[in-house]
This record gives sequence, C-alpha cells and structure tokens, in this order.
Amino acid sequence: MFLRTLWAERMKLHHSPVWLAFLILPVLPAVMGTFNYLQNVGILQDQWYSLWTQHTLFTCYFFLPAIIGVYCSYLCRLEHLNHNWNAVMTAPVPVSYVYLAKLISASVMVLLTEAWIGILFFISGRLCGLNTPIPPELPEWLLYGAAGGIVICALQLCLSLVIRSFAVPVGIALIGGVSGLAAFAKGYGVWFPYSLLCLGMRANQPGGAMQSSTEQFVLNGLLYLAVCIIFAVIWLKKRDVVAG
Amino acid sequence: MIKALAMEFQKIRRRKVWAIVAALISVQILLALWGVDRMDAHELSQGWMHFLYQFPILNSIMMPVMAAVVASRLCDIEHKGQTLKLLHTVMPAGRLFAAKFLCGALYMLAAALLQIMVIVSAGLVIGFEGSPPLDKLLYYLLFTTAVNLTILLLQQVLSLLFRNQMIPLTVGIIGSFAGLFIMFFPQNLGRFLLWGYYGVLMFVGLDWDRATRIADFYYVPVDWTGFSILAIMFCMIYIIGRALFIRKEM
Repeated sequence: MFLRTLWAERMKLHHSPVWLAFLILPVLPAVMGTFNYLQNVGILQDQWYSLWTQHTLFTCYFFLPAIIGVYCSYLCRLEHLNHNWNAVMTAPVPVSYVYLAKLISASVMVLLTEAWIGILFFISGRLCGLNTPIPPELPEWLLYGAAGGIVICALQLCLSLVIRSFAVPVGIALIGGVSGLAAFAKGYGVWFPYSLLCLGMRANQPGGAMQSSTEQFVLNGLLYLAVCIIFAVIWLKKRDVVAG
Repeated sequence: MIKALAMEFQKIRRRKVWAIVAALISVQILLALWGVDRMDAHELSQGWMHFLYQFPILNSIMMPVMAAVVASRLCDIEHKGQTLKLLHTVMPAGRLFAAKFLCGALYMLAAALLQIMVIVSAGLVIGFEGSPPLDKLLYYLLFTTAVNLTILLLQQVLSLLFRNQMIPLTVGIIGSFAGLFIMFFPQNLGRFLLWGYYGVLMFVGLDWDRATRIADFYYVPVDWTGFSILAIMFCMIYIIGRALFIRKEM
C-alpha cells in the first residue's frame, strides 16, 4: 500500500519541471564559487577544503533551504488546489502514508542534489588543477548534508500543510536559513533544524570535526523528524480539511 | 485607479501579507545589528558607512525573496479563485496590472523606509560619529527601492503569467543567489543581472587589511550609468510584461 502511495506521488510530479531548480541551483556556486576561488588562491590555501567552502557556504545557509521550501510547497499545493484534499482524505490510505510519501519524494530530491553537488565539486576541482586526491570526508559531508536537508524537508512539509499559501513557507525557509546562521555562530547549530544542513555539510570549517558530536547531530535530526511526522499525522487526522 | 488600488487592499484584507514582510525584514535587521554593540572607536567613526555597506549585501539575499513572496501572494489569489476572467469584464487588464504593482510596491517601500529608520535610530543609540548623512541615506533609499521595485515587477509578471507559482519563486531564489555571488566579480558584470544591482548601486567600498584586521570603508562615486540601465530595464519589463498579461488568455 505504501509503495502505491509513493508511486502516486511520483505520478503527480510527472512532467513537472520542479527538479530543474535543483539541477540549476548547485551549478551557480560551482561556476561562480570556483571562479572566486581561482581569483583568491593566494588567500584560500587549503585547496579542496577552500573550494568546498566556496561551493557550499551560501548554498546551504540561504538558498538550498529556500529551494527545499519551494519543493515542499509544490508537493502540498497539489492537494490544496482543485479540492484534492477531499479525494486524498477519503482514499483508503492511512494519512501517515500520505505525509511519508511526500517526505520520501522530497528526500530523494535532496539526496540527488547532494550527489550532484559532489559531482560538480569533483569536476570543478579537477578543472582548477587540484591534482591531490579529493578529500576522503566528501561522502560524509554529502551524507550528513542530506540528513540535515531531510529534516528541513519534514519541517517545510508541515508548514506547507498548515499554511495554504505557496509563497509564505518559502519565505519562512529563508528566515530559517538566515537564523540558522545566527544559531550556528552562537554554537547552538545542532539545536536548530535549519542549521543541520550546513552543520552536516561542514560548510564553515570542512577540515575539522563537526561543531557538535555526530551522535548529537543524528539524535537531534531524528528527534525533529519524529516531531514533524507526529505533528503532521495528528494535524491530518484531527483537522477538517479545507478544500478549495 | 484609486478604486482599483483600494480593491487590491480589500482582496488581501485578511491575508496578512505584511506579516511575512515584517518577519523577513526583522530577521534582516537583527542580523545587521548583530555585534554593533561591541564596536570600537575606529568602527564607530565609520558606523554609518558600515551600515550602508552591509545593508545592500543583506538586501541581495533577502529582498528578492521578499519581492517574490509579495508578488506571488498578490497574484496567486486570482489564480486560486479563477477571477481573472471575471475581472477582465469589469476593468481593463492594464489597470489591474498597475494596481497590483502599486499595492506590492507600497510593501516594498515600507520595508526600505523601516530599514532607514532602524539605521538612523541604531546609529544614534550606539553613538556613531557625526550626524546621520542624510544625502547618503536618501541615495540608499532611492537605490534600494529602485532595485526592489524592478525585481517586484519581474516577479509580478511571472506570477501572473504562470499559474504554477513554483516558477516565479524559483526564478527569484536563483536570481538572488546569482546576485549575491556576482558581487565578488568585477562591477561591470553585475550590470548584466537584474539581481546584481544591489551591488552595482552600492556606494561604499571596503578595504580590509589582512595583517592588521582593520576594515576601512570609503565612499565611491555613485554609478549613475548603472542606475539609468536599471531604469530602462524597469520600463522594458513594465511594457513587455503588461502587454503579455493583456494578451494572455485569462
């Protein structure tokens, strides 16, 4: 049953150009960040690590959360329009499946984006003439980054579920990203869902350890994920739908 | 026209468009005010320039998204209620376009005015050297509003033309991203990108000495050519966007 729900989500997105945003977004920092790196090779001496900062710093603070917000808004808008909630809620499918199917669709997109960021990083590094092997931590950065991104997906899906507007959750995602910067700087990054993305990707100091322990990171991520899923299920179960 | 504008405000009466604008601008202001209480004498002497340097950079991150959200909020009601056809029978499409733009423009103008108020009052409270440079602040207001409104206009055209609001918002976010990055490039490049104009029209430069870690701000001449190009862009987007909207099947 769950697989069918997931498949239904996939069908809803069929021919939608929403993936295009995730394809373009990492290309910008890859091109412009690399160019900036080449111009400042004198200051940025940590090679792959400096390049990584150039690629990811702005991306994961401001723009990736906002684009995730767009994607989640889109997933929910499909139901908000055309009285679709009536159809969704009367289908013989547990409401948790509906939310989880959306969460998994968004998470797959985040995973693909992280892989794409990794590929672009590798290509631009080689084009810059970095001949040393790529940092062994790269898969770890991408994996933890994806984990942080999935937490943002869960949160944004809850927001888009509650707020029927398309644009407002996107604005909130940007606010979250910017506040994440503050939370990170104060050392509370691991406690703020929107900072988990840049914390996981080590956008600030790729060389060293994470600001928090890995256990804490994973634990908080799971906690926020659980809270969002429980909230969404309760919301869908208890609230009467507004269709229109 | 006044009536059409009043109608726009009627439509968004309970939609609390101001709430998201207020939230975004508050976060931006908090970010700008971060750490100003720890300024030393040298920094205080350059306080006004510090703000006039910092705000355009923050604007290039936040304002495009704010414009996209405001435009989408104002235009999405018509798509959701499928009211464009109905409106078309009672008022010229061009007037609806103008009214929607004016309505959004008031929000963007309010945001910029709020920034100025915060800059002045924060500067006076912290004790920046000298009185507020009124001419520079007016330039700031003019340039910020000019870029904001041009971006708002583009967003409105996209939000009206596409039912799917994902498209205008994605354009807004990616544009804002490119605009932020292009600030690190030579200034002439920024002129090719609408979102780069926050940087093009900046009139404070920064010299940062790596060895002493001292930042020195200085005024640079205003790029009036850039401003003229921006004005031309605005007119072109308005004329083309309005024509596309009028010809669109409602």
